[in-house]
Amino acid sequence: MQKSAIDLSDIQEDTPQSRLTIEQRLRNWARIKSPWAIHYNSGSCNGCDIELLTLVTPRYDVERFGVKLQGSPRHADILIVTGSVTFQSKDRLIRIFNQMPEPKLVLGLGSCSISGGVFHDCYCVVQGGVSNVIPVDVFVPGCPPRPEAMINGLLVLLDIAKGKRQKSDYNQPTIVENPDVVEAPLNAPEENGEK
Amino acid sequence: MSAPHPIICLLLFPGGLMLLASSLFYEWLERKLVARFQNRIGPKVYQPVADMLKLIVKEEVIPKSVNRTLFILLPIFGFACVMTASLYVPMFGVDAAIGMSGDLVITMYLLSAMSVCLGMAGANSLNRFAVVGATRTLTQLFAYEAPFMLSLLLPAIAAQSWNIATITKYAEGKTWMMLTLPIGFVISIIGVMGKLEIPPFDAPEAESEIVSGALSEYSGRGLALFRIAKNVELVVCLSLIAAFYLGGIGNPLLFILKTFVLLAVIALLQSSLTRFRIDQTIGLWWQVGAILSLAQLMVLIMVKVL
Repeated sequence: MQKSAIDLSDIQEDTPQSRLTIEQRLRNWARIKSPWAIHYNSGSCNGCDIELLTLVTPRYDVERFGVKLQGSPRHADILIVTGSVTFQSKDRLIRIFNQMPEPKLVLGLGSCSISGGVFHDCYCVVQGGVSNVIPVDVFVPGCPPRPEAMINGLLVLLDIAKGKRQKSDYNQPTIVENPDVVEAPLNAPEENGEK
Repeated sequence: MSAPHPIICLLLFPGGLMLLASSLFYEWLERKLVARFQNRIGPKVYQPVADMLKLIVKEEVIPKSVNRTLFILLPIFGFACVMTASLYVPMFGVDAAIGMSGDLVITMYLLSAMSVCLGMAGANSLNRFAVVGATRTLTQLFAYEAPFMLSLLLPAIAAQSWNIATITKYAEGKTWMMLTLPIGFVISIIGVMGKLEIPPFDAPEAESEIVSGALSEYSGRGLALFRIAKNVELVVCLSLIAAFYLGGIGNPLLFILKTFVLLAVIALLQSSLTRFRIDQTIGLWWQVGAILSLAQLMVLIMVKVL
């Protein structure tokens, strides 16, 4: 985790459901029953994006869990990131994450979002995947992940979100600043040496 | 049925809580019907309630560039407009809470004020997508408003009154005006779809082009208010059309059933048609809608005079 990414230890640990007040339970219920998602392709090969769209087709239909794909980051609760983060899309990804209102969650989709996948050494890719840029709550591995795996990932995400990151738990929204990432690939030739 | 005490009308039934609950139910029914038409399972019955609760407890982001007062007040104003409009309309088969001569015009004005609020909210946001969405919302307002208004004026002219209660009484005695004024009925149904930016008229909030249109910058409470306002507008418009074109009030249960049938028609159209471009929408309304409704008006006047 980079130094400028949020410190997850600040956030309250899971509280047992029995200790929550009725208001908190109602909030939790509403949050878990109505997760609206926004999808951002941060440099994926488009495989995960095509697989993600199967979730809204008649066969898998995630609207029965209340999941809706939204256009605006202001409306969304879950940011679904696919692919490794290219330098071009890094700033946009951070900006979209910062634009989302609290409480917000991030789901990383595919092997590339975990480690960079097949692009891990690429000259244009942030080393080490999405979690080096923004805090990710759940990763779904796969290349691309199966729709069942994605639904499972969404449900796990909602499960661990219970009682966490309530509106009352923070004083100001989570804003991620530009993290220090390695701008050049590790084994890039020195410019001076070439000349 | 006669109208209950004004305070009850305002807070519990048919306005206030009952209207809010039923508007959420109508939203669920619409989404479920669309899902079933698309061979999906669709959301559960508590889904709109969960959506609203979640939006209300979420953080509300107010951008630095907007006019704060307008940003906060516009959703409230739009919501208040449609809630007020419901007082003039025989909701759920109960007589309207307030009646006066010319209340049809007030109702149409209040329903349009909601769209104007939406447009102003978008223009206030200073987000390029929101501004484009606001432009489209207001452009579409000018497109559907005249034919939609004409289609609601047709029963008024037939009944020779501008009072909603008189028109519904007139409609009760006659054959359904859906049969005698078929073009007006069709245009009023499509007008509701244009008003609420339901597909195929959802160019103002086209996700793939302009994020979420005029509401792009709204989150939390403001978004929830706008969504509830749209749902209430849907219920009010459907009640108005059912009262005018589908044989007055009559039996309240039957009346509610009629609005459900209208909703099913809207859901079917919505799930089977694709989005029009904004210029196609305008062309459709002015070249086809307005001329057809004018022709229907001519026929009606001829029949009345002769």
